[in-house]
Amino acid sequence: MALLDAEPGMTYTVKEINTSDEDMNSFLFRLGCYEGEPITLISKKKKSCIVAIKDGRYNLDELLSEAIMV
Amino acid sequence: MRIAFAGNPNSGKTTMYNALTGRSEKVGNWGGVTVGTKEYKIKDEYAGGREVIAVDLPGAYSMSPFTPEESITSEYVRTANPDAIVNIVDATNLSRSLFFTSQLLELGIPVVVALNKADINAKEGTEIDVKALSDKLGCPVFETTSTEGKGLSDVITKAIELAGGTQNAPYMQANINLQDKSAVDAEDRKRYKFVNEIVESVEKRKILSSETTSSDKADSVLTNPIAGILIFAAVMYCVFWVSQAWLGPMVADWLVGWIETFQEWVAGSLEESPAILSALLADGIVGGVGAVVGFLPLVMVMYFLIALLEDCGYMARVSVVMDPIFKRVGLSGKSVIPVVIGTGCGIPAIMACRTIRDERERRATSMLATFIPCGAKIPVIALFAGAFFSGAGWVSTLSYFFGLVLIFLGALLIKYITGYKYRESFFIMELPKWKTPSLKFAFKSMMERAKAYIIKAATIILICNTVVQVMQSFDWSFNVVEEGAENTSILASIASPFAILLIPLGFGVWQLAAAAITGFIAKENVVGTLAVVYGLTAFIDVEELELTGGANNVAMAMGLTSVTALAYLFFNLYTPPCFAAIGAMNSEMKSKAWLWGAIGLQLGTGYTVAFLIYQLGTLFTEGHLGTGFIPGLIAVLCMVAAVIYIGKRTRAHFDEQYNLHRNDGKHGATA
Repeated sequence: MALLDAEPGMTYTVKEINTSDEDMNSFLFRLGCYEGEPITLISKKKKSCIVAIKDGRYNLDELLSEAIMV
Repeated sequence: MRIAFAGNPNSGKTTMYNALTGRSEKVGNWGGVTVGTKEYKIKDEYAGGREVIAVDLPGAYSMSPFTPEESITSEYVRTANPDAIVNIVDATNLSRSLFFTSQLLELGIPVVVALNKADINAKEGTEIDVKALSDKLGCPVFETTSTEGKGLSDVITKAIELAGGTQNAPYMQANINLQDKSAVDAEDRKRYKFVNEIVESVEKRKILSSETTSSDKADSVLTNPIAGILIFAAVMYCVFWVSQAWLGPMVADWLVGWIETFQEWVAGSLEESPAILSALLADGIVGGVGAVVGFLPLVMVMYFLIALLEDCGYMARVSVVMDPIFKRVGLSGKSVIPVVIGTGCGIPAIMACRTIRDERERRATSMLATFIPCGAKIPVIALFAGAFFSGAGWVSTLSYFFGLVLIFLGALLIKYITGYKYRESFFIMELPKWKTPSLKFAFKSMMERAKAYIIKAATIILICNTVVQVMQSFDWSFNVVEEGAENTSILASIASPFAILLIPLGFGVWQLAAAAITGFIAKENVVGTLAVVYGLTAFIDVEELELTGGANNVAMAMGLTSVTALAYLFFNLYTPPCFAAIGAMNSEMKSKAWLWGAIGLQLGTGYTVAFLIYQLGTLFTEGHLGTGFIPGLIAVLCMVAAVIYIGKRTRAHFDEQYNLHRNDGKHGATA
């Protein structure tokens, strides 16, 4: 499912990332967000969410959170 | 000897650099504060008497750049051959930081790792085995806390000792074809695996990053689309209110008393001297510069408060909450940071645009950021609020709010002109850990600013005022201008042609035109020049002026109604910024077309806003339109036509391109 449909407070494993933007994909990779890695949904709103990747907190907008499948 | 400081964004590189060199480069608690290379000699107490240059680089997550400022870093460490690299690692996020560390270790340049933010780790109970980490990486590792200066001398002594040597890499990228994406991907995965294994063996955490903490709860309120925006508005209102309506003016009142006493003393001791000398010194220099310096406390308080905001970590939350709104007008959430920095000074604000990844968004933001009144415009706002609106706080609030509205409208206009179509624009923002803002740091930032302001007043503004005073005192044959014949002065004859253009805006007199023009050199000059040409000082002392009917005197001398005064104020606020800021815009935009577009947009905005306020305001207050309505209307319509023309042309150009592509597809290899 897309990250926005996930349950806040739960840790998931990234299944697929497809932002249709090569550079964005590899940027996410360098933050530690790639297939097989854990990602925690800290909180979510209608069109954005806050996640924990490795030991950092990030806010992702709608487009990005829909491009990350867990 | 040169030592480069590299590491992830917001790991504390510039804080360390400042501590080592004694400089005061801009720092803040969010990723991407430093956008260019800075270098300076390290203090002797750290360098041990040797000539060591520290090079501060923008933060980067890896050697492959994503944003423009990241590429500065990877290019520097690759090509500039520093003698050693200090890799600042955010110890609270070891698992991400070591990816870049492992890449730096491959360069063959000696690396010393500074495990920064050790204080936060100690507080959170995260333990890192420094010895084991050092063994695994094959380079020295020290725990540091840059904000307190702890551990810095160990790092720098070691870096100097190793400088010029070599470095063995614990992980070497296999020899792969870098053009082959899947090979690069696989290689990066291996690198992360290597990093993960190290972290697992050296780090012990008490609080897992996946746990929801109280700071997460605060964040979810602060980034809430409704509550977050209301909170941001309230915070900014407090900043403006404290700096410009309460604490700032309180201190300013006291300061102005001293300046007046000084001016009287100068005038008194020049009684015997020729009138022209006394006019130049007492009115021109002391009066004009004094009028500007009188507003210094407002600017200082403002800087203090903004520094607290930048230091605590709130800025990242603000960009998150504003992103959806800014995205709608074709900007990015990251455009908020330049806007907030712009309340202090437009130049760092324009430079801060470099962290915006999309070129169009970046250029548009740097074009619009100066619509937010900067610190130099505070004296102008305060002067008009005091003289024409009995010091009403709403004038200042309105100036900032209207600036924000203009940014949105301007962004929509740029969106129209550039033929921007909906494009996928991603937004990701790291939310740094909250930090108690340091009063010491805010105080330092404020004093830095005060120093710069006083230096500016004593140089550029002093010179401008002197020149204005001389040009006003003499006519072209260098005779002293007689009283009552002021219109024959050099200044009057130069400024008059410009004044004609300003008639439809309600302030077509040469004195006001001259003040607006000197404002392009530095915005404080508007106040300084007005003080000189109207022979007025101590604008800010509203209460005292009111007692003597002085505020009215100021208003009378300028011959403006409250409508024209507001029009003139807004004209000065929203026309192009000072030349220095235009220069910054030029270097960020890297395009003459965009630069001239920006200047045109700003001139057009200032003109149109003043025109509408004057004409509509006169219509409401006096029941008829102001003078020069028709010529002004023609000028505004010409600008509208120009915008439509350029917009149409870009669109036609796009369509043409699109057509070409389609034909290409249809006819195969015809091109």
